[in-house]
Formats: sequence, C-alpha cells, structure tokens
Amino acid sequence: MPAKGMLLSSSPHSFTPVSTSKIMLTVVIALVPAAGYGVYLYGLSALALILVSVGSAVAAEFLFRKAINATATVGDFSAIVTGLLLALILPPGTPLYMAALGSVFAIIVGKEFFGGLGANPFNPALIGRAFLLMSFPAAITTWTMPQGLAAAADAASTATPLGLLKQGQALGDIAAYFGSGSPGEFFRQLFLGYRSGCIGESSILLILIGGLFLVAIGVVQWIVPASVLASTFLFSWALGMDPLFSVLSGGIVFGAFFMATDYSTRPLTPTGMAIFGFGIGLLTAVIRKFGGFPEGVTYAILIMNIATPFLNKMRVKKYGFVLPAKQVKPSKEAGK
Amino acid sequence: MAVKTFKGGAHPPERKERSSSIATERLLDVTQVVIPVNQHFGAPLQVLVKVGDQVKRGQKIADAEGRMTVPVHASIAGLVKKIEPRTQSNNTDGPCIVIEASLESNPEDSTEFLPPLDPFACSKEEALARVRAAGIVGMGGAGFPTHVKLAPSKPISVVIANGAECEPFLTIDERTMVERPEDVVEGVAITMKIVNAPEGVIAVEENKAHAVPLLEKAIASSPRTRAGMKIRVELLKTKYPQGGEKMLITAITGKEVPSGGLPMDVGCVVQNIGTLCAMVEAFREGKPLIERGLTVTGGACKKPANLIAPIGTLVADILTKGYAVADDEALRRVIYGGPMMGVAVPSYQIPVQKNTSGVLLMNEEEAKYYDEETCIRCGRCMRACSCRLSPALLAAAVEAGDYKDAEKIGLLDCIECGTCSFVCPAHRQLVQRFRVGKQILRAMKQKEAQNAR
Repeated sequence: MPAKGMLLSSSPHSFTPVSTSKIMLTVVIALVPAAGYGVYLYGLSALALILVSVGSAVAAEFLFRKAINATATVGDFSAIVTGLLLALILPPGTPLYMAALGSVFAIIVGKEFFGGLGANPFNPALIGRAFLLMSFPAAITTWTMPQGLAAAADAASTATPLGLLKQGQALGDIAAYFGSGSPGEFFRQLFLGYRSGCIGESSILLILIGGLFLVAIGVVQWIVPASVLASTFLFSWALGMDPLFSVLSGGIVFGAFFMATDYSTRPLTPTGMAIFGFGIGLLTAVIRKFGGFPEGVTYAILIMNIATPFLNKMRVKKYGFVLPAKQVKPSKEAGK
Repeated sequence: MAVKTFKGGAHPPERKERSSSIATERLLDVTQVVIPVNQHFGAPLQVLVKVGDQVKRGQKIADAEGRMTVPVHASIAGLVKKIEPRTQSNNTDGPCIVIEASLESNPEDSTEFLPPLDPFACSKEEALARVRAAGIVGMGGAGFPTHVKLAPSKPISVVIANGAECEPFLTIDERTMVERPEDVVEGVAITMKIVNAPEGVIAVEENKAHAVPLLEKAIASSPRTRAGMKIRVELLKTKYPQGGEKMLITAITGKEVPSGGLPMDVGCVVQNIGTLCAMVEAFREGKPLIERGLTVTGGACKKPANLIAPIGTLVADILTKGYAVADDEALRRVIYGGPMMGVAVPSYQIPVQKNTSGVLLMNEEEAKYYDEETCIRCGRCMRACSCRLSPALLAAAVEAGDYKDAEKIGLLDCIECGTCSFVCPAHRQLVQRFRVGKQILRAMKQKEAQNAR
C-alpha cells in the first residue's frame, strides 16, 4: 500500500475532459470568421477596436478581482469572450477609448458586481453596448461603408439598411443604395455580408458557420437561435415588414447565435429557452417597427434576460412524475 | 436487433478492455476472511457465533428476525478469531466476524450447505424462504434483500436480467454472461417462476454484444424455454447509467417507474447477473451466498483479473497472493465498485462484500481530481440527468437551503448516478450535494411527521 497521495472523495471518480475554459475558447474560435471578415471589411482600425475591447475586458476583470481580493478568474477566458462580443457589436468607427470604457463597464458593472461568471443576470457585452449607446448616442450610431483593409479612419458616414428603413425608404431604394439592382440580389448581398453595420454582424454566412459549429459540437443548443429567428421572421411579417429583410439585416442573426445563447442569462430549461427566444423575436420586431432606434436586438435580449429566472421554473417533467394529488406512499428505493 | 436506451446519460471512458477477455479465476487459498455482519439494505443482524467457535463453510453466522433482514454465512471453514468493528467497503466501521481458515480439516465435514431444492417443483413460499436462507441480496451495489424484491404486491409482467454493466472498468458481469450463460438463463427462469412473470429479458449493452449469441444459444437449449417459458435477449445502447434500474426498465418497457414507487409498480423485477447466478447455486447446490465475482482492474493494476472470491476476502490478500498485481508507485486511489458510484477507500485491508462488484486501482491520470469552479449555467447536467431533475437548478435550491423547492424539483428522485458531476465542465459537486441534501430533507420530513402526530 503506498503511503502517499491517496485520494479519498465522494463518487463519481471520473470526469469529463470538457472545462469552462475550453468552452470559452470554442466560442472565441466560432467568432473568428465573423471577426476576421469585420477586419477585412473595415481595416486595421477594426482590429485595433477588437484588441482594445478584449484587452480592457481582461484587464478590468483581473484588476477588479484583485482589488476585491477574490480568486483570479481570467483563466476561464470568459472576459475574452465578453470583450470580443462587445467589439463585434460596435460600429467600426467607434473611438478606441469608448470601446475600452464599454468593456470595463460590461465586466465590472455587468458581471463582477453580481458575483462574476455565471451569476450575472444580464448579458455583459450587451450591457456594455447599451451603456455606450446611452452615453455616446452619436458615435455609436455613426456607420461607415466597408472600405477594405486600407480603410481610412475618417471614412464618410453612411446609414445601415435598417436605418434607411426607419427613415421610411422602400426596400427597392435601400437595395439601390447598397448598389443592388433588385431586392433578391440585395438579400444575397446581405447574406454574404457587404453592407454597413457593426463589425461582426455583416456576413450572415460567416455568423452561421460559427454559430452552427457551436450547435454541432453541443456548446450551444439549437432551441434559442431557432426560436429567435423564427419569431423575428414571424412578427416582422405580422407587423408589415419584409420578414427576410428583417432577419438578414441588423444584428439579429449574430444576437440569436452569440448573445441570446449566453449561458448565464438564458433560461436553462427547453421550454424556457423557446419562450425566451420567442420573446426576443417579438421585442426586436416591435422595437424596429415602433421604437426610436432602427435596431432593437440589444434591448430585446436585455429585456428577456429579466424573464430568465421566471422561465427557469418551466422545467421538464421529472422521470416518473406523478401528480401530487394522488401521492404514492413513499417507499424505500430498491437495489440497482 | 433494435438497440434500446433512455434519454440523457453520458459516456465516461470505459476502459473495460483491460479485463474483458480475462477468464474468471477462483480464489482457492484464502486463509482469512473478514465478514461484515450487516451487508444488506435493512435492519441489523445478531451474531450467532462467538470467538473460538469452529465454523463450517456455508454455516449461518449472523441473522435476525424481520422482513428486511438477510442472514450472513461463513465463507470459509475455520476458527472465529475475532468479532470486532472493522472498516467496511462503504468506508464506515461496522461489526465484522474474522475467520481464520483451518487447513487440516477435510472439505467433506467442513462444508455445510442447504439441501438442494427444485424451484420449479416447490411452492413460492418455500422458494422465497430459500432465497432468504441463502443470504441473497442484490449484488449490483445496493444490497436490497432479494426475497423482498421477489415478493411484490403487484403482478409482474417482465423479469429483467441487468446485463448492462454500465459502470466503466467493470467486466465481471460480462465474463459471467460469456462463461455461464446457462446459469444466467436459469436464474431468469427461477425468478420468473417465483414472481409468476410471463416474460424474461436479458438486457445487454452493445459493448458486450459478443455475449448475445452465447445467451441466445443457452436460451434455445434451456429446458425452461423448451417447457414454454419466454426469455429473450435485448441489446442496449452503451451509455451510463443504462444499468440503473429505472433507466433499464424505461429502455426495455418504455414505462417510467412512478416517483416514490418501485419497479413492481410498472410490473418489472430487475435482477443483477451475479444475483441470478447466486440464486441458481442456492437452489441447485443449496449453496448460500458465500462468494461472488468481482473485477480487479485500473490503471495502477499491472495484472487485472476477474475473480470469484469468498465474501470477506481482503483485497490485500488478493494482491499478495498474486491473483491481481498492483503498481503501488502509480496508485492514487482505491475504489470499491465502479468509478461512477463506487466508494474510495483508504486501504487494502477492506473485505469483499456481497455487493462489491469490483476493486479499482486508479493511477494518477484516472484519479485526477478537479477543484470546483463556479456554475456557468451551461445546462450540460440538465441534458445528462437520466431522471430529468434539472441538476443546476436543484443544486441552487439545495445550496440556498430551500428544501421545499428542492423537493419539488425532485431531490428525492435522484438516483445518485453521478452523471451530472461527470459532465460538469466546472466540476461542480452536484450529486455530492444531492446526497447530503436528500439526507437533510428526509430528516426534515421525519421530524415534520413526528410533530404532526
């Protein structure tokens, strides 16, 4: 019998190789296509924005936890995900200090104040964006056309497809604005991703590649994205907007796969997830149609985040569920 | 053959290949056994022998009145050396009878078995009395008295032989099905006779599919099936906890055992493979449950083995006699049972009991232990829970001390299979919390009931 290093612990004695940090890294990998395309469209300034946002998120988490004398958690890579997500939902021309400020706010107020990873009720990246949108409404709604890697920092400002729609333009005119001959051609252009908008939300194709990769390897469940997209389609159509245009423009696909699926802030139960996604689609369509902003995904998700604890009560029926009314006499569990 | 299964579960690394092709070997030269007095789920027993007594192999050495009691027998012939508390395989101390073998006596007078009994000719009461007298308990882990299980108050439609062996590492049931398929079939037939069930199913996980033709051949040539008894083999998906009683019933019959109920509520009786063989021997030879099959394996086991050992054999003796060889340098953890539900013990000086299906000697890599991180609410436990108990939410309720909510979510329905803790990327001690929580909740309910009176 060896004297040293014998482990005594309660079963199970076998553990999955999956870990929190591996999951977070997978999400980062899934975001690479969309982020890379953003850099390709908007140049090195977009890359700088991403790096500043990620860097300040990591630094904010590290320093805050050090300040409050809590265990360091930067090793779980969740701050990288938050910083990256925030950068990808900012306009390419956002000043770097704003991105840094948004990241710090997202991490400290949006996450750490509630106890850190897994305890935050609101999606931190969206909290960061909402904070910036309120603090710097002009800067966060100033858009530029994609100009390639050599883009100048002072590119002429333009409008987003949804912005033009809000101004009352017809779909044909919006298509023409982005150089497409017909709405059909424009939809293809939106799907592939040549249009003005946030850094990461442009190419639906690349977002789908990343998002479906996460679904395929089981990091993300299909229920939330499917329900968000279906409900956006449905309610846009019901409110008299072109449903396909509504899904392809703005940040709804990005939000459906990368924001609404945030572990801490989406419900855990399948029914809860479906209702959660349904609500996001409904609110997005309502905000786009009646709200003051052309885009509503940020607030739709944040509002539905509030419902998460309630939606968690909609559990699956447990194995062998019997109605409490006809209670069975409690009997001892038999051998296995 | 359609492969059946249940929803949820996980796939822990199996590592059965180390011992799955090693033939079962019988321990012959055991010189000392330490037999725990209480090895069943139920009321405690009284010791019937005293220090200095000569006992025969098969002689009853502890028993008690009462339905939930099962006697214990001497597993070797010899002298009662001591009766004292020793560490048992559940890591607690309990009264044990230490017997030292007397080598000179000849095996004829040193054995005391019951007279053989034909289960198909005797009455149900006689058969149940024999099952109890032979000291038979569920050998899959819980140690539930078999004579109680075989006297259900509801009609039984199917007897299921649990050949899933879903615990990783363990291969003793697999070896038994390969080496003694006739006994497995006979055991199912006896059980069917006692509970008057029209149908018998031997359920085998896919990773043991090679045992299926052997079992089918045994079924075809069995006098019981020729006499009209219906027994068949079903394949199950290899998935943990496929061999959990509830999961097995759901996979085979599609029914769910009602919350707080027993398998008989859905017309099922589930029997472990080892229990079936012990029953066959109890009737055919009158032999009580004095030995059992177990697997000794693991990354720190240089020579793994499938063994039949007398109850009470110390694992230290198995190793020193060379039936299995340990790599003491690499050893980090010793487990009685499987890696998912077994008990980690501090030494080799612990006896093989009626419910010890294996002894695992784990190396550094297998025994890796992780620090608990915070729950990221990924929901993996929610999807893996075979009882659909929402472990993430249940753990939150238990941690908050909200036992009312925990009970509503289903704390008392937890089968403690450990799948939630296995799949957790943050290595949360979920099932560990539920085990403690269940005890607290049961105590609370008991107190409530007392106050109500």
